[in-house]
Amino acid sequence: MIKILKDTPGHLLIEIEISEANLDNSDLFKTQVTELLDRHKKNIVIDFNRVEYIDSSFLGSLVAILKHAMAQKLDVILTAMRPDVYELLLLIRLDKVFKIYGDYQEAASAI
Amino acid sequence: MSTITKKILLVDDNQLFLKMLSRAFRKAGFECVTAESAADALTLLKTNIPDAVLSDYEMPAMNGLQFREELLADAALMDIPFIFLTHISDNELMVKGLGLQAVDYVLKDTPVNVIVSKLNNIIYTVQKQHELSKNELKRAAEALNVRTIPHSTPYIKGFHIDFWHQPYQDIPGGDFIDFIHADDTHTFVVLGDIMGKKWTAWFFTFSFLSYVRAAVRFGAYSGDYSVASILQKVNEVICLDDVLKDMLSSLSLLMIDTATNQISYSGAGDLPLLHYDAKTSQLKRVSSDGLLLGLFANGNFTEQQISLGNNDRLFIFTDGMTDLSAGSGKKSDYNQFMNSLKPLLNNDHSFESLKNELFESLTGLRVDDCSIIQIRKIS
Repeated sequence: MIKILKDTPGHLLIEIEISEANLDNSDLFKTQVTELLDRHKKNIVIDFNRVEYIDSSFLGSLVAILKHAMAQKLDVILTAMRPDVYELLLLIRLDKVFKIYGDYQEAASAI
Repeated sequence: MSTITKKILLVDDNQLFLKMLSRAFRKAGFECVTAESAADALTLLKTNIPDAVLSDYEMPAMNGLQFREELLADAALMDIPFIFLTHISDNELMVKGLGLQAVDYVLKDTPVNVIVSKLNNIIYTVQKQHELSKNELKRAAEALNVRTIPHSTPYIKGFHIDFWHQPYQDIPGGDFIDFIHADDTHTFVVLGDIMGKKWTAWFFTFSFLSYVRAAVRFGAYSGDYSVASILQKVNEVICLDDVLKDMLSSLSLLMIDTATNQISYSGAGDLPLLHYDAKTSQLKRVSSDGLLLGLFANGNFTEQQISLGNNDRLFIFTDGMTDLSAGSGKKSDYNQFMNSLKPLLNNDHSFESLKNELFESLTGLRVDDCSIIQIRKIS
């Protein structure tokens, strides 16, 4: 479901390995990323390049993860979103809640 | 029986048997996923939930009983019907397997068509049971008079209201609609969508809707008809509510003032509304600023006025209207929805005909609850 691509002193870079992010996998995603936050105590950069579709259940998990991170003074950063997925986040104003970058390099230099 | 294709996970270390069995199941109309080990099956189950698991007992590394124990330890997997498949006719093993809540036991030398029929019956029984529980819950909700979708549309002088709602797979879900007559001249239109699907989301719609109804009523008593202020109050309470604080919901809140013929609107993480201008035949987005309810104590809700000319229409809808199955996957496409709606509006199609030609014709492709409200200005 998720793969750790990079572990730096300041943050973890993880990739979502599924193309359809939906109700069937949203709980597992929340559990896994929350565990990473608790274990590593680092900001998390999530690479979305493989995700073609995201439903509201998965968005709910994403927001729950962000709230969990913020309670620990950590951040969740989103990168490499496909246009359709990015457009949906814009439509429901989640771009005001998450930091979103075009790719990892951009995100890493901004953190 | 449900017309949805049944999905089955076959687990066996014998490739040849796996091939033969999956061919027979596919021929019988099943969607088949195969794994050559219990470990592979557990990986598959992380992203793919079948209607039933048919697993061999004798496998290297993790055997069928250990595999079953792993599934039982996982709340997301424990309820999938599990059937053991084995060469061994061993009573002790059978007792062990059934002790692990395996639904049935099938010997490998059973003719393949009998195995398929057996699986078909098991899935049918489980679905039937699910259907019965679902109907029980529906009846209980009806008896308690808890309703999150109205029976009918309200009468509002100078406006005509229509709505269409289709729950995903006919199971009540997270969308909720309400029309609240606050007094003679003020009617509130509510459309919300709890993030999540089916029963879990449905359960929370009552709590969200109760807060919205209460905030509207208290606002009206004190002469506060501001939709942004109502949303802010609802949001603050939800952020403090121990049961709801981990739930999120989008909400479009509109207030129709029949004294001024004005509509005020505030949104919380909702999709932009669509305003059809009958004079210019243009369909324009009406966006708001507010964040999803339950996200942060300050939801940044703003309010705007919408003036509808004669025969103008305003559409308020949830993401189920814009998300569809596309090829092998799913797609969320707001613009496509807008583009398919516009020509029908230009040809002055009634809401009934929009429903028939656009909304209901796509039912097979829907992936979520769908709700849409149309407010039309009439002379």
